[in-house]
Amino acid sequence: MNLPTFTRRRASADTAKTTATSSVTYDQHHEQSRAAQRHADIWLTIGTALMGTFVLGFIGLPIFLRGVWLQRQAQKAGLSVRPIMVTLIGYLVVLDAFLNSIGWILDLGASHTLITRVFFTAWGNFVDNGYFWHYNELWIGGSSAPGEKGWEVTLIFTVFPMRVAAAIAFLQMKRWGHQWLTVTCWFGVVIWVGYVVNMTMYADIRFDGTVLPVVGWWLYDIFYITPFLAIPYLHTVNREIFSD
Amino acid sequence: MSTSPASTENTGEKELPLGTTPAFAGMHKWLKRGIFVCLFALVVEGAFTVPALALWYGWPTLSFTEICSELMKVRYSDDTVECEHPYPVDGPPFGGKPEAADQTTARDEWGVQPKPDYGRIGFRELIRIHEERIARQEAQNAAPR
Repeated sequence: MNLPTFTRRRASADTAKTTATSSVTYDQHHEQSRAAQRHADIWLTIGTALMGTFVLGFIGLPIFLRGVWLQRQAQKAGLSVRPIMVTLIGYLVVLDAFLNSIGWILDLGASHTLITRVFFTAWGNFVDNGYFWHYNELWIGGSSAPGEKGWEVTLIFTVFPMRVAAAIAFLQMKRWGHQWLTVTCWFGVVIWVGYVVNMTMYADIRFDGTVLPVVGWWLYDIFYITPFLAIPYLHTVNREIFSD
Repeated sequence: MSTSPASTENTGEKELPLGTTPAFAGMHKWLKRGIFVCLFALVVEGAFTVPALALWYGWPTLSFTEICSELMKVRYSDDTVECEHPYPVDGPPFGGKPEAADQTTARDEWGVQPKPDYGRIGFRELIRIHEERIARQEAQNAAPR
């Protein structure tokens, strides 16, 4: 029987009690599966960490893909590893949360460093002048666009950490990870609707004198919809594969 | 494991991934493709954005400090402001004054929905703006002699 790894402790205890003869093979299978998953996870984690830095993404992507490939090989060899989709969604949600958080944390806490003043205002001037207009004039520094600081603080301190915690538990195939990832991915809908409406209300600030207004912003930001893509999966996956 | 998933999966002719039921196999396949597209796109734009912006705004002809200053001059419609680098560490958010505190030169059409009044910055246009100003200043300095 192809038992998933996450039921290890309970399952192996049960197996030990009931079927002493088959426990050896199960344990071996389990050990091999666990080792294979761990090996893949090391590559996946390092890859995601590098992709989370923006500029080192090109180094991170092949490392991440090697992790996915290792996991696929393990699956083909009949080992009990995570489904590829769970791996992809889990790591990508972490990546999305980190990329968003890094940007906003820099705007909140490092608004007067040279790198932030050059690249935030340049990025702002290119696709969203909310990060250029009266930049570093607010007492806290950073973007002065109306509503922006509210979104930054709210999301950095609530949704993104919740999402990372949920994604880690989801990768560990825990039931609460699946449940909380569903909750925090739906939060993503709230974020996008609220943020876009706020931008639209102050569209002159955001897009007057911008190099690539509106379309440029959407081109840049549309790829942050990963959490949206997770929602249909989370609602249609067989929940029994996640353990309590 | 609370119940066996065996009854709900792997019943089709080809083996489905764990957790995917035949009814949603097609949808899961397309979601996976979408996620891969997002992954590649995030990496490509993450890696390209910084160098692309640097080139657009005049690097390496202008240094980062010069780009910072030129952007400030556009933002505040004031040729005299300079990017202060390094900025005092007790600056925002640690209580000090922000860089643009007390500026009065920025042009806006003020109202409940303010409208800024700076122009679009074209490809490497900051270099031209920078060099023209330097030339102007040199001409002014040379004139009295």
